[in-house]
Amino acid sequence: MSGSSLPVLDQTDLAILNALQDDLPLVSRPWKAIADRVGITETEILSRTKMLEIAGIIRGISPILESRHLGLHAATLVALHVPEERVDEIAAVISSYAEVSHNFQRDHYYALWFTVAAQNGEGIQKVLDEILKRTGIPAADVLDLPTMKKIKIDVRFSFLPAQSREISDGSD
Amino acid sequence: MDPIDVHLLRELERGLPVVPSPFEEIGKRLGLNGDEVLERIRHLKESGIIRKFRARIDQRKVGIIANALVAWKPAGAGNGDLGKLLAAFPSVTHCYERRPVPGRWEYTYYTVHHDYSKEQVLDDVKAVAEQIGGPEYLILFSTREFKRVPNVRMRENGGGVP
Repeated sequence: MSGSSLPVLDQTDLAILNALQDDLPLVSRPWKAIADRVGITETEILSRTKMLEIAGIIRGISPILESRHLGLHAATLVALHVPEERVDEIAAVISSYAEVSHNFQRDHYYALWFTVAAQNGEGIQKVLDEILKRTGIPAADVLDLPTMKKIKIDVRFSFLPAQSREISDGSD
Repeated sequence: MDPIDVHLLRELERGLPVVPSPFEEIGKRLGLNGDEVLERIRHLKESGIIRKFRARIDQRKVGIIANALVAWKPAGAGNGDLGKLLAAFPSVTHCYERRPVPGRWEYTYYTVHHDYSKEQVLDDVKAVAEQIGGPEYLILFSTREFKRVPNVRMRENGGGVP
């Protein structure tokens, strides 16, 4: 791994990262409850979690919301064929929309892949039309792959002590 | 969901305060006590608005730098269980069924895989494919990340909330 290295995460840090990926205990002192599970004190979990947040490893502990219950009933994944030299410029246009949550370059003829969520299909079409108009990408270079069914969403990383590595300051 | 719930979700979106009594702390900003905050969160979970309440990890900062989207093609008509089969693998973090583009793009199931290296992702995907009867698939490794945020953000696109 390249990049300057920061302090190595120890087993306690890894145990905290594992525990914080479980559903938060809904009790008045949740940190105390998690600390008990990990086998450390409340003071220690608070200070270590603050460090993990400062290091950018924890992006925050927050509720994951169900899009349908918040009026977002339509979603799609869009792939664009984009000339190599225009990737940055076009990616910036795509990322500027609040309706877009994920936008990646991938090693394929269709180089840019992004997700769009909106209240309905019309809302999605509007964003998509606007992106194509602003960037001049022809419809023939677009794959629009609407979500039919969310079968699984379970982002979870299991950190085993054996996998303890140096933290890299990967470009973000 | 009432306007206080909306306000509460907006505050929670900032992240759980790293203090001994975080719900009390949130409550102070809303004029509620800690128990009232907890009661509202429980209710939001029961009604399915909050799917989970947990840490979001930047996995790349701990060395999990390989990420692939894999597109799967059902072997024949009526291979409706492919999505279920794929979702059962612990290494699959996301599994979606999508409408294909007939004649241009026939893939219908999409999974996401993360690992420490590209080689590990390749091995994992190969093993998954073998175990489900070898359907055709395409691995799309990410080379750059331009945007990655939760798909619902109360402050930006909270949709049709009151």
